[in-house]
Amino acid sequence: MNELQLLTWARGPGLDIAVGIFVLGVLWRLIEIYTLGRKKDLAAPRRAAGASGLHTVFRRSLAPPGMLKRSPVSYIGGYTFHIGLAIIVFLGAPHILLISNLTGLSWPALPAQLIDLVAVVTMAAMLVMLFDRITKPAKRFLSTFEDWFTWTVTFLPVLTGWLAVQHLLLPYTTMLALHILSAEILLIVLPFTKLFHAFTLFGSRWYNGSANARKGVPV
Amino acid sequence: MQGPLIDTLARQGVSRRTFLKYCATLASMMALPPAAGRAMAEAMAAARRPSVIWLPFQECTGCTESFTRSHSPTLEGMIFDMISLDYQETLMAAAGHQAEEARHTAMRDNAGKYLLIVDGSIPLGVDGAYSCIGGRSNVDLLQEAAAGAAAVIAVGTCAAYGGIPKANPNPTGAVSVSDIVKDKPIVNIPGCPPIPVVMTGVLAHYLTFGSLPELDDKGRPKAFFGETIHDRCYRRPFYDQGKFAKTFDDEGARRGWCLFELGCKGPVTYNACATVKWNGGTSWPVESGHGCLGCSEPDFWDAGGFYKALSVPADPLGFTAAAAMVGAGAGVAGGFANRAKKSTAKKTHEPVTLDDLEVPK
Amino acid sequence: MTLDVIPIHVANQPPGEPGLSGNAPPLLREVAEQVRRLLESGEPSAIDLSALPLTSADLDWLQEKLGAGEIAVTLQAGGESTLDETACPGVWWVTHRNEQGAVTSQFIEVAFVPELVKAHPEDVAIGLETLAFMISDHQGDAD
Repeated sequence: MNELQLLTWARGPGLDIAVGIFVLGVLWRLIEIYTLGRKKDLAAPRRAAGASGLHTVFRRSLAPPGMLKRSPVSYIGGYTFHIGLAIIVFLGAPHILLISNLTGLSWPALPAQLIDLVAVVTMAAMLVMLFDRITKPAKRFLSTFEDWFTWTVTFLPVLTGWLAVQHLLLPYTTMLALHILSAEILLIVLPFTKLFHAFTLFGSRWYNGSANARKGVPV
Repeated sequence: MQGPLIDTLARQGVSRRTFLKYCATLASMMALPPAAGRAMAEAMAAARRPSVIWLPFQECTGCTESFTRSHSPTLEGMIFDMISLDYQETLMAAAGHQAEEARHTAMRDNAGKYLLIVDGSIPLGVDGAYSCIGGRSNVDLLQEAAAGAAAVIAVGTCAAYGGIPKANPNPTGAVSVSDIVKDKPIVNIPGCPPIPVVMTGVLAHYLTFGSLPELDDKGRPKAFFGETIHDRCYRRPFYDQGKFAKTFDDEGARRGWCLFELGCKGPVTYNACATVKWNGGTSWPVESGHGCLGCSEPDFWDAGGFYKALSVPADPLGFTAAAAMVGAGAGVAGGFANRAKKSTAKKTHEPVTLDDLEVPK
Repeated sequence: MTLDVIPIHVANQPPGEPGLSGNAPPLLREVAEQVRRLLESGEPSAIDLSALPLTSADLDWLQEKLGAGEIAVTLQAGGESTLDETACPGVWWVTHRNEQGAVTSQFIEVAFVPELVKAHPEDVAIGLETLAFMISDHQGDAD
């Protein structure tokens, strides 16, 4: 198999399999989670200012008082790479083209050089986060295989994409194929690892927020 | 006939200065330093014309057209005066047994020294019966001719990589020259058709230095196939700015923006079209407003459609709907299983009494 | 029919034009270095202009800077070639064209006389033979 065949496989059957598993996993887990249901709360609801599902969704996006100072790397690094990933995935021209081809939705792209810069910043932030996880004893103690694994599968698509665009290490064709393959691995593992927070994040915040709001506690 | 080349050329009315000028231009096209032009001229003037046997197999003659139909007289035409083309079915006057005789004579007289040029793929299906010349299969002819060749030049994507005949489902079992010939140096000059000057350059290199030019891992001369179309494209700045033509007749197309979204395979295609151009330097596909098909890459025909951008699916997704159904089904089934678990837990639930909490005596 | 007959509107200027890429000025230093070498060792050299990333504006700029000298050689050999001395003696602007008049290659050559202008001894010998033939022919006529 030569590199063009590898690329064609990654763009064809590979993508088909990856998107298939992704859709299967996402629907499976979302439906299972939301059909779980919860016991009816028979107590009379209380009210408090700033206590609701919506409030919590927003409030949890901000660092609690004092925390930014205590672990700046987690907050600043975390924000940087999450926003970076979103910009690259949703505002890079080839990615928009993929989305529009799959869904029919399309929007303007950012210039390639800007995406390039964002990719570098994102990778830097992710590396700093990894370094922090390794060097901070508490973080390292709490880390499981899943944490290292999900970091890797998130980092690889950014790295290979950037290397491909910059023509580094391997010929563009090979690197592009590796980039697409790494993104497919990310798609496949996303529904079955902690990366599923991309889908459950706001739902669970809302749930916690509204459950506590009923008790009159803004969280 | 076999005297120094410069004498042969002189007899044809080609002056020494014309030849020098030709060599200077050739060196420039081969990306050699200017001084190499003079060295080439000296070496080539004294060179003997090598015998060349050109075997056409499963092909469309487009490669031959590419070399012979360029503006006449040209550099490419001239190089054919510098070799002794002893067998080329399409161009030779002889036919039938006479033609076969010419091939046998050339192979016998120049054993181990002649260059073998091949265009077209070699079908292996049904014992090679899909393409025969004079009652003999292509694979048979190739093996015979390659045995006595100094080197093999595979011209066109078919000879180099199997090309269109090898495209899915490959009904004739077509393969490339390098799939058959294993013990001879092979130069691949892919393209559908290939650029004439690349072939001229390889021949000139062989005449001048007595060796084949430096090749990449796919057997292509690095001087011409060292960079992608995309990297050498004059429309590259538009790609970087994110300015793309969305259809072939929109504002972007009129303004000459990047054709990536219209399926241009320039980023993954190694060839010299963007610099050497076509039709005597007139234009080339992207300049005329059409994306690169990637014709000089192996299996370009099966690379997911000419008008599909590289970043979009090569084939329509087939599993998604089924996967969505299975996923939803699994989710619902899981939901029911969880409910059943919950109700079982509820049924078997027993309130904790004080007795349970007491430490057993 | 010429292209003028067709009403073509150029919607956009090709990128890089009329702009200068900035690659031309360093070439002047390169030429100066080659001229120095010519003076010191008599070694001729050349710069292949088509191998460099120069825009046509760059080439115009270079040609204008180097100027025109006293000698302009026109060579008719498989199309017209011009070998023009620039305002700097020893620096020649060489343009090769094919029979259709299209530029096939372009060089800046640094030499006392460009290689292509000199006659090759073998060709001179052939010329001598022709002369000898003419002389004997003329004598034959006179007799």
